[in-house]
Amino acid sequence: MELLLPALAALLVGTGVYLILARALIRVILGLSMIAYGANLVIFLSGGMARNDPPLLNLDGPFVDPLPQALILTAIVIGFGTTALLLVLSIRAYQATGTDEVQSLIERDNPETITSYADPEHPSVSPEVATGDDA
Amino acid sequence: MNLLFLPILFPLLSGALLIVLPKRARATLAVISAGLNLGANLLIFQRTSQGEVLVMQMANWPAPWGISLVADALTGILLALSGIIGLLTVLFSLSSLEQPLRWGQSAQLNQAREHLGFHALLQFLLMGVHMSFLTGDLFNLFVAFEVMLIASYGLILLGNESLQLRQGFKYVVINLVASAIFVTAAGLSYGLFGTLNMADMAQKIAQHGPDPRITLIALLLCLVFTAKSAVFPLGFWLPNSYPTPTSAASAFFAALLTKVGAYTLIRTLTLIFPTETSIRPIILTLTALTMLVGALGAIARHRWRYALAFANVASVGYLVMGAMLGTQDGYAATIYYLMNSVLVIFSLFLIAALAEQLAGEDYHAEGHLKFYPWLGVAFFISALALAGIPPTSGFIGKYALITALFQNPSFLNTAVAIAAVISGFLLLYASMKIWRNFFWGESDAVHQVKLAGGMTGITALSVLLVIALTLGSSYAYQNASLAARQISNNEAYIQSVLQKEP
Repeated sequence: MELLLPALAALLVGTGVYLILARALIRVILGLSMIAYGANLVIFLSGGMARNDPPLLNLDGPFVDPLPQALILTAIVIGFGTTALLLVLSIRAYQATGTDEVQSLIERDNPETITSYADPEHPSVSPEVATGDDA
Repeated sequence: MNLLFLPILFPLLSGALLIVLPKRARATLAVISAGLNLGANLLIFQRTSQGEVLVMQMANWPAPWGISLVADALTGILLALSGIIGLLTVLFSLSSLEQPLRWGQSAQLNQAREHLGFHALLQFLLMGVHMSFLTGDLFNLFVAFEVMLIASYGLILLGNESLQLRQGFKYVVINLVASAIFVTAAGLSYGLFGTLNMADMAQKIAQHGPDPRITLIALLLCLVFTAKSAVFPLGFWLPNSYPTPTSAASAFFAALLTKVGAYTLIRTLTLIFPTETSIRPIILTLTALTMLVGALGAIARHRWRYALAFANVASVGYLVMGAMLGTQDGYAATIYYLMNSVLVIFSLFLIAALAEQLAGEDYHAEGHLKFYPWLGVAFFISALALAGIPPTSGFIGKYALITALFQNPSFLNTAVAIAAVISGFLLLYASMKIWRNFFWGESDAVHQVKLAGGMTGITALSVLLVIALTLGSSYAYQNASLAARQISNNEAYIQSVLQKEP
């Protein structure tokens, strides 16, 4: 048992890292969730491994440490919020770019040449000067 | 000692209320809350600057079972700074969010941001920052980081346009990975020590003696905090994502969020792991690279806030370098440079916001000195302070840092000092580039445009603060030395926390 659960945590984190480097946005999000599961499992293991021992402090019999389980709950809730945010973000990215790929989030055009200044009423600099050259 | 809870309470309550209030009330409440926050922070600073270590046990659980809020001199200095920066950001945003955008994105983006909850998110960000400065518990630090990060995700994504989505996604992903590593380290340290209270952990480590497992946990934590403070190989998320939100939020991020990473690095390495001296040369080498990369990036970019984001990376490189020295003079120099860095970077971002109002994001638009001489003066002073030219506070800070480096003239320290000096010159060149291309020269196309009064006033105020830091250097350095003395020996902190009666 002592080898199995840490090996499982390592497997989860490894899978998660592999998924984060994938091409589709949804796989990146799945990878992040996997890494979060692996991290939560590591916290769980730090409380001591036992079978059938409840995490309650006031018993006569054996019990496991409840504090790591409280820590995991906090981490799960935080992870749940950020995963929800990421999912909405990926839906919005799909709507904006029409594709599920991470490549669509990388600036294709050179961002250094975009400088359009456009207040037709009172520009302090005329547009030709503002766009300038690449010096 | 309820004073310690106020910097967390005020932003929490006002952030919750700001979500539901109508627009006029939002502005008023944000200003009032930031003002009260500043008052509480200055009270804490005034008490800690006399050497007192303030401790508060949450819900009266005795340490080490409960969560402690601790304020020593370093925390007091940082709280004072964040109170000032918070109030200035709120005041600046009141006028900057009224301005239509004039480049790239849709003109009404700022109004949309204000409508969608900018002020509430800024208050939650302040709460996260204050909680991470005040906390004395490792898992509470994780929670504070998460509050801060989620608020910053919101601020970056606010407005929901293409640029926000692109940069926001990358920022969120990298920070989630760092958070997962942090929570793993917290879990491992609980398993090893049986406690998450920083003072208790420090005591147990001192009794335990050297152990590779302790070094592992220290390395994991340093990994997270160096990623948060954008040290060289882990800092590539910063230069493209920090210019994405509105200019007020951008200025706040650059001024404070990276410094939170630097602060937690200092705190864990001096309080919990003072015996882990093998980590220091590694991070010291990385900071030399950070300073150079930051300065080179500032030269390479020719949009205002993108260049300044790289300059911010270089500035934090100096901070982390000082923190890795391990000597008391090194810590004093670091803390003084931290004060300088926060104020100077904040002023530079505000000046960039004004300049963007005038001529768009690219700074290749000559001749502005003739019509906006005071903007030129403000930029000149701030840029000199950034590059470290006498007589500014930047020079005093860098001189102190390099002197501290040479107290131990090993090969590594000399190389890092050379990198620091070269980086200073490169930052000076970047500033000269901006000066030459934006302020200097003559152009028929430039004429007077009225700038918003609120924005100009707050920018002037922040540059005056930079000057005040220079003039008041001896007072500031005294506080920095006191903080350095306190963190060099963690006994006082440990005793204050563990002996405190609830």
